[in-house]
Amino acid sequence: MITSIAWKNVWRNKTRSLTVIAAVTVGVFAGVFAMAAINSSIVQRIDAAVNEELSHIQIDNPGFRGSSDIANVIAEPEKVVSVLEETPGVTHITGRIIVRGIASTSAGSAGVEINGIDVEKEQQIFTLKERLIPGTGSYFGSDTRLNSAFIGEKLAKELYIIRYILTEESFATLDAEGVPAAVTGKLKPLENQRFTTEKKLSEALSGLLSAKEVKLYAMKIKEAAWSYREGSKVILTFLDANGTQTGAAFRISGIFRTNNDFFEAFSVFVPRDELLRLTGMEEGQYHRIIARLEENDLTERASAAVKASLPGLEVMNWKQIQTDLAMIADYVNQIYGIFMVLILAALAFGIVNTMLMAVLERTRELGMLSAIGMNRRRVFAMIMLESIFLSIVGGFAGMAVSAIVIAITNHTGINLVKYAEGLEAFGYSAHLYPTIGADFFIMLTVMIVITGIISAIYPARKALQLNPVEALRGE
Amino acid sequence: MKVVEINDVFKTYHDTAVEVKAVNGVTLSFDKGDFAVIVGPSGSGKTTLLNLIGGLDQPTAGEIIVAGHRLSELKPSELIDFRMEHVGFVFQSYNLIPVLTASENVGFIMSLQKWPKEKRMARTGELLEAVGLSERHNSRPSQLSGGQQQRVAVARALAPRPQFILADEPTANLDTKSAETLLDIMEKLNREEEMTFIFSTHDVRVMKRARRVITLEDGKVVSDERTNHNS
Repeated sequence: MITSIAWKNVWRNKTRSLTVIAAVTVGVFAGVFAMAAINSSIVQRIDAAVNEELSHIQIDNPGFRGSSDIANVIAEPEKVVSVLEETPGVTHITGRIIVRGIASTSAGSAGVEINGIDVEKEQQIFTLKERLIPGTGSYFGSDTRLNSAFIGEKLAKELYIIRYILTEESFATLDAEGVPAAVTGKLKPLENQRFTTEKKLSEALSGLLSAKEVKLYAMKIKEAAWSYREGSKVILTFLDANGTQTGAAFRISGIFRTNNDFFEAFSVFVPRDELLRLTGMEEGQYHRIIARLEENDLTERASAAVKASLPGLEVMNWKQIQTDLAMIADYVNQIYGIFMVLILAALAFGIVNTMLMAVLERTRELGMLSAIGMNRRRVFAMIMLESIFLSIVGGFAGMAVSAIVIAITNHTGINLVKYAEGLEAFGYSAHLYPTIGADFFIMLTVMIVITGIISAIYPARKALQLNPVEALRGE
Repeated sequence: MKVVEINDVFKTYHDTAVEVKAVNGVTLSFDKGDFAVIVGPSGSGKTTLLNLIGGLDQPTAGEIIVAGHRLSELKPSELIDFRMEHVGFVFQSYNLIPVLTASENVGFIMSLQKWPKEKRMARTGELLEAVGLSERHNSRPSQLSGGQQQRVAVARALAPRPQFILADEPTANLDTKSAETLLDIMEKLNREEEMTFIFSTHDVRVMKRARRVITLEDGKVVSDERTNHNS
């Protein structure tokens, strides 16, 4: 009966209750959705770091990571492979030789890290092939000739391999994408002009289009003008095993696009055999052996086990290599905790206010209940339940709205392309796909109920302090 | 058989600079089946005396014994249970629980007392019929007239079979017809179930029906008369 009365009391003043419920709903939604968006950003970054850049465990000669000296190879690579094969959770292993050098074209040059990779094994560990920009090559496909290199879009831009040209085909693409003829008409003077950088094209667009048109269509125009000449070459120069400068021309076998500008600008991948030949290194020599695990959660345990078995080598997991990433994930969780506490505190004040009004409005009724025999415990329970019901209805509504919006945006993505430059400089995607675990919803439910209980204490105590005689006398 | 014994009871308030003796040495008793009214001018102590008898307030001095319980010896929590078990209250402003239907209001105290549902439903039906509101059992207080609400309040007060009913100005907000109907019901319950009713009132309509009229002035009993009204 007390539960039934409490529930009915919630709906006595529908406007007030719905206002509080709406406030709780909005607060919970804001908190959950913000967390899901932040969480997705971190998860996407971690996934990208593990799947495209680092994998789970890397093993180097202790002197290599600091010096990049070609002579610092792993002493007994067979033993490393054997240890990894026996480590629970390890699914795939590959080895690389790595040299620092310079990539150059006739138009530009840049310092790079050249990775000699086993193409087949790399594909079992990394998903970088999926990041290949269509039309730029076939990764290291069957049609690839010797001396081929897979490079990032950022590096390609620095080397002026990528240019921006508004061709007839570009205009057709813009028409198909719904860019108004009035806009494409203004672009006609730029037809077939070559822009070596995105910045130069942007400047030209600003001169022809209004600010609003630039804001609306610049991204589409740049994408349509993006131009890559198939079969472009890059010269890679580096020191061989004898310390002698060497190098070769490499045909571009593909350009990859990730969310990490630094990785894109610095990493070059070539077949290991080719790099072995050019450096004069011997077959079976490796600078780095990389292992893939079944899942991220095994990282610490597996890397500790490998480290214990290989005391003479530098064994690092992705969290140790990218300490900033692990730290940011931890930091964001803490920020989020504070954020949620603030939201729940605000909700608590709203509920306290509402419940206090409800108690003060019902002074006479509470006096009557006490007069006819409803004891303090029951009065307290009734006010508590009213508060908990308010919190739970609002909380569940907030979580339901959050779940729906997260499901939709997880499918469609949130486009932060306006901030792409800044985000990608730090390796974060400009497209967020919000996601949140079921465990988070369970935790939030518990927190909302606790908030409801805490919020009810003060109004419930007020109700208990009422003297039935005085309460019955006045309103 | 004595239901209520009041022995030299005082109730003094110190709320203001002036000491107010709301009840000033009252000695009374009520027998089972009494249909008594306490009358007197405003401020004479009628409601205070009713509150003391009902265990809502404690006397400054003196002793009140209800159904063998010395109220001064009961702790606050025991007083609440005492009220639930032994006293039925009918208030001037009806004071029904607005979110409950008529039958839920009548069954409320029984549910607090954990009566089995079937027994509770049967008693509720019986009482609503007694007060002539069987048809309105599913109505909320806001859907009932003042007289109907007060009849539900009477049914609620009677539900747990209390020792007596305390009714504080029960007809004050009712029109003549509603008041007469309510009094008819109360008289009938008094006659047929020997339920004790103690009223405080200014209402002549109630006084006319009473078989005992106690007059208070300045907190003192100035007369206690039994009348020849036949129920």
